[in-house]
Amino acid sequence: MDSMQALPLVRKGGCLVKPILTVSNASFQVRKQHILHGVDFTIGRGQIVGVLGASGCGKTSLLNLIAGITRSTSGIVSVNYDGQETEIVGPGPDRGIVYQAYGLYPFLTSVENVAFGLKLHLTTIPRRMWGQVTGFWRRLRREHLKHAEELLVRFGLGDAVHKYPHELSGGMRQRVAIAQALIMKPQILLLDEPFGALDEATREDLQRMLLVLYEENIQAVGQGKPAPHTILLVTHAISEAIFVGDRVMGLSRHWNWEEQGFSSCPGATVVYDKVAPVFNSTDSVDFEKFFGQKNEIAQLVFDEKVRVRPQDHCTFWSQVRVNHGHGVTHDV
Amino acid sequence: MSRKATWVIGTASILLLLALYTRLSIHQHMINPTDTTIPTWMQMSEGISKIFAAQPRTGDRWIVEDVLATLSRLGFGLGIGVFIAFALGMSMGVWRWMEAFFLPILSLFAKIPPTAMMAVFFTLFGTELKMYGAIIAFGVIPTLAQTIYLGLKDIAEERIDKARTLGASTTEIIFCIMFPQILPKLLDAIRLQIGPAMVFLIAAEVLVGDVGFGYRIRLQSRLLNMNVVYPYLAYLALFGFGMDMGMRWIQCKLCPWYAKGGVS
Repeated sequence: MDSMQALPLVRKGGCLVKPILTVSNASFQVRKQHILHGVDFTIGRGQIVGVLGASGCGKTSLLNLIAGITRSTSGIVSVNYDGQETEIVGPGPDRGIVYQAYGLYPFLTSVENVAFGLKLHLTTIPRRMWGQVTGFWRRLRREHLKHAEELLVRFGLGDAVHKYPHELSGGMRQRVAIAQALIMKPQILLLDEPFGALDEATREDLQRMLLVLYEENIQAVGQGKPAPHTILLVTHAISEAIFVGDRVMGLSRHWNWEEQGFSSCPGATVVYDKVAPVFNSTDSVDFEKFFGQKNEIAQLVFDEKVRVRPQDHCTFWSQVRVNHGHGVTHDV
Repeated sequence: MSRKATWVIGTASILLLLALYTRLSIHQHMINPTDTTIPTWMQMSEGISKIFAAQPRTGDRWIVEDVLATLSRLGFGLGIGVFIAFALGMSMGVWRWMEAFFLPILSLFAKIPPTAMMAVFFTLFGTELKMYGAIIAFGVIPTLAQTIYLGLKDIAEERIDKARTLGASTTEIIFCIMFPQILPKLLDAIRLQIGPAMVFLIAAEVLVGDVGFGYRIRLQSRLLNMNVVYPYLAYLALFGFGMDMGMRWIQCKLCPWYAKGGVS
């Protein structure tokens, strides 16, 4: 299968593409239900990967495996932040997650929601209680809130700082949710259909916000620094995955498992993994540019009648090797 | 309808009630001038001054000793009731085995009216403060514990998962996410349980009390001193109003998000 095995992969600029997340041969089942089978891929630092699939095909399960909320039945999910491969055994602040709904806590204002992770991660209940006495917690809390407010202002939410989630529009809520995840400076950000419930204009707005993050990656890589944001964007909108991602992966239950000797579907697997065009945050959405790829994905990932041979269409790293495409994994 | 109109109509209904009573008592006193079952306003004011007057022998005032007795019993009973219900409901919502263990007991006891079990409480706890506390606690625990437990079951799993990715420990999930989320529902439930708690308390006081609202009302009704009984009932109503408003105020202060219309 297509993999990064032939590393080190060197860009034209001379620096290495570093793998940050590796899912190797992971399968997942709940009781007798087969959800995922033989999922195998590696993601490089700084990539935005659009993960596509029909509803109920296991996209969220895959995200939960990476977040560490559930464990895979077999196979390994591991991260590699500093040259050392570590298996994921549970959730942690290094992997942030944003859901379509229920992301924010209704009893906290925007700024408190954003600062919530700092509070939970950096201090404990006894320490905060003692800190109330010594005044330490009040000082630290003020710093947290200031930091959170700055982030909200950067995301264009200056007016919503002290509002509760139910007083915000859907788009504003998702911005706060993304800020809430980003304040932890996660190595990997997992987005589970984050814009699914939003109207077209708001969705595009937020997609461009992700492209701004990608621009920060490219800038960092250009300066020889590690890219700050690696993002997995789970979605069922093909254009969204192509527009935002520099790489598109497709999960499907309709692959050639009969040929492999299974009598029933052993679970969804990655049937599509290719380079996607890179857009700037200010570019207009050029549908022409991804028309062909969109059709290809619609057929391979969403059509229930086809039986895909996964190895035929999972060619991302081979494409990178022949320098096909742009972005953090390519010349900058 | 405008706010003012609502207010005027509301006041009118109270005034009408008072007018009807006045008419009834005048009518009754034309038939029997010495009647005390439907006292006139004159008799009523005598009754009220009796309630507030110092007793010649002891120097105590009825209103003071009754309010103190009833309030402390109610506070004590509600206090332990809420405390136990909270511990029970939280642990049932958090741990499956606690749920499996306590749910049958709880649903069984919820079906028995505490007033029917008074004899049991008298034999177990005597007739002192302890007994009043137990009877109120017993009466409010099933509802409160189930409110908390069902509230916890309602919390979307994503919220918990999200907290864990933000670095929350189990203790933090319980106290920083689950607790604030169910707090307004808990306060609502407590507010609504004050009524039943009063029923259990007054019933117990009527049966075995030697001081308190229930005791005074029973004694004075035996003596047909309705000019004392009616003001006592009015105080109970006022007291109920006060508690209700107090609880709403506490909810507004503790859960401003809920008061503003947020849903948990």
